[in-house]
Amino acid sequence: MSRYVERTDGMLRMLKINYAASQDAVSDFSWSPVIRIFCGPDHGGNVNEFNSRAVLQYMVTDKNNPNSVINIITQVRENARSVQDHITKDVWQCLNEYYHTVKDPKLNNMLKKDDPISVLDILIKQGMLFYGTTEITMARNEGSSFMRIGKYLERSIQSVNILDIKFGSVDHNPDLLTNTSYWKHLLLSIGGYELYLKTYRTGFEAENVLTQVVLNNVFPRSVIYSLNQLVKYFDRLKIDGHINPGDLEFLIGRLQSKVKYSSIKGLTQDELHHYLAEIKSELYGIGNAFNQTCFSLS
Amino acid sequence: MIKNRHTESYDLPKNTWDEMFDQSKQVRSEYKTVMDYLDQESTDELNKKEELSKVLFMSQGITFTVYNSGEGVEKIFPFDIIPRIITSEEWEFIEKGIKQRVTALNLFLKDVYSDQFIIKDGIVPIDIIYSCPHFLREMCNVKVPHDLYIHIAGIDLIRDNDGTYYILEDNVRTPSGVSYMLENREITKRLFPDLLPQCKVRSVTEYPNILYNNLRSLSPRQVDNPTIVLLSPGSFNSAYFEHTTLARLMGIELVEGPDLIVEDHKVYMKTTGGLQQVDVIYRRVDDEYLDPLVFNANSLLGVAGLMNAYRKGNVTIVNAVGNGVADDKAVYVYVPDMIKYYLNEEPLLKNVPTYQLGNKDERAHVFENITNMVIKQTNGSGGYGMLMGHAATPEEIDAYKVEVMKDPRQFIAQPTISLSSAPCYMHGVLQPRRVDFRPFALCGPDGITIVPGGLTRVALKEGSLVVNSSQGGGSKDTWVLS
Repeated sequence: MSRYVERTDGMLRMLKINYAASQDAVSDFSWSPVIRIFCGPDHGGNVNEFNSRAVLQYMVTDKNNPNSVINIITQVRENARSVQDHITKDVWQCLNEYYHTVKDPKLNNMLKKDDPISVLDILIKQGMLFYGTTEITMARNEGSSFMRIGKYLERSIQSVNILDIKFGSVDHNPDLLTNTSYWKHLLLSIGGYELYLKTYRTGFEAENVLTQVVLNNVFPRSVIYSLNQLVKYFDRLKIDGHINPGDLEFLIGRLQSKVKYSSIKGLTQDELHHYLAEIKSELYGIGNAFNQTCFSLS
Repeated sequence: MIKNRHTESYDLPKNTWDEMFDQSKQVRSEYKTVMDYLDQESTDELNKKEELSKVLFMSQGITFTVYNSGEGVEKIFPFDIIPRIITSEEWEFIEKGIKQRVTALNLFLKDVYSDQFIIKDGIVPIDIIYSCPHFLREMCNVKVPHDLYIHIAGIDLIRDNDGTYYILEDNVRTPSGVSYMLENREITKRLFPDLLPQCKVRSVTEYPNILYNNLRSLSPRQVDNPTIVLLSPGSFNSAYFEHTTLARLMGIELVEGPDLIVEDHKVYMKTTGGLQQVDVIYRRVDDEYLDPLVFNANSLLGVAGLMNAYRKGNVTIVNAVGNGVADDKAVYVYVPDMIKYYLNEEPLLKNVPTYQLGNKDERAHVFENITNMVIKQTNGSGGYGMLMGHAATPEEIDAYKVEVMKDPRQFIAQPTISLSSAPCYMHGVLQPRRVDFRPFALCGPDGITIVPGGLTRVALKEGSLVVNSSQGGGSKDTWVLS
């Protein structure tokens, strides 16, 4: 549930910034990286990557896209319904409302012909309501720990994914490496722009962007921040005796150390790709282990 | 399906260059796409867009404060939804013209504060310079980094009835309005989705990055991370929104006078971690308030000792102190001569014919033809203290003449130029309103950059020729086509 909301939040922000960028672009604006980040490499459907409206509809309200906001939020609502006893009434209502907002045909119409940013803002706000409501109403018990673990797991996967795809595009087009607006948009879309400006005084450089998104301890979307949070809530589960740490503790600890003590300066493109792919696969491994340890029926 | 016929209802003003329509009321080619779009939209939809623009400005806090307004302090800067469009050929010309002018003005400032060749060679009379209240003797022989005095210039352009661009005013002290250039574009993106890329409009978003890089390169200390601050007079200033926006977009600190302190001729910023040396100050405080030890002793907006630190070269102030002598309206008359003198070039952008009231013959001529004249104070700004001859009552004219005679040097007159008109969406139809145009030039060690765009100010009152925001003016998004 939390993972899904986190994913939609990341997606909506990404769409918003990219749409704004598409309005600034003098030449054709390709949505292909965004589609790849959130739908995987082969799930672009038949959508025209140069048609902003089509992409937005595909990503937000298209029921045939398994990764569209509408499908994800439908899942969230189903999940929430089945764990009603573990979430507060406010949280349930909040998600239910989110669901009805995104299902409203009016929203799709607006997306077709009105201002898309208004639509995305409405949905982003629904996600924010969810975060605020859980923060204020949920007891800090098992349920809440699991929700946070889900949230941070998803967030770190997303950040790694975004980096991998953005740096991957550099392979085909080396000019991007020095294209400041390319890196600016990446930072804007994950909300790290203002922090970057304050941290680095030398303009937009790929290596600094990478360092901030992987290793910055105070950037809430960085890989290390998410992992630290994950460890924190995992420990809480452990202390409360809800979980038999076993393999999970090993997996999480190993990944945290790996990221924390890695140096990403001077990596070549190949090494970087390899490094990100490794983190990603370990994150998936942690996700699976959680599934098996805590939710598996057998 | 065409839902609207804006062309038919548009009341094309006579003897005026209209931005959208030519003399035979045909839509100019650069406006074609926009006009087609407007014709497809119903009045309801356009009204909705206008409403949306207001909501967006308000919720983002894009407001300004008017000092002498009875009806509360916080206002939205009125925004008209129809963009003003400039073709790439026009832009190329404007860009060249402004670069030429700013280059000359910068050379003039260096000259006038050091060797004064231009006075010795008899190009600019000495009394014009020394009677200018913004000519600061404190600045004589002060060395500024890269000899750059003007880092940010906002040059106001208007168009006469044949479409020729004229320079109305140079603003090289603390020109404001650039945040509206940036925000208007963001709003337009939302009002007219997909229209911008369709028209191939050039982006303006690079402005803060260019400015930031320039500021960084001006640091007197050769350090990796120079401290750059934006010095604002505070939240009561009418341009406070702009100060916060620029500080955020550049990731620099927003400070007020009391946040800074001078010790041992160095400027420091007070932080929770102690004092931190400041290298570059992008100030939005006027010269006379900068340093109470040197200028206005009653000022709380500045920093005591700042000028000494500046003269020692320990801090860079942007724009340089004393620039007011270059945008003084009596000096304005000599700018075309400066361009010839310093650059040996013909000025590309013309001046509006200007009479100096300090000169007896010219004053007599102006007073005879006062109904066709606009009289301004030479050091005024913001549209205050102006007399629009065609609109003033005889009593106002007489009162103003008395004012002029007290110190005629401080006044100039220009024949009323009609300004070009552009369609504004008002009460459900397009109506012509007068506009000017202020592009922003950024000058750094590597040259002058002008972001393709600028602020189009519009006089929202019917027939009015005053576009200043403090006088009921509004703005439009300005599109430069590629």
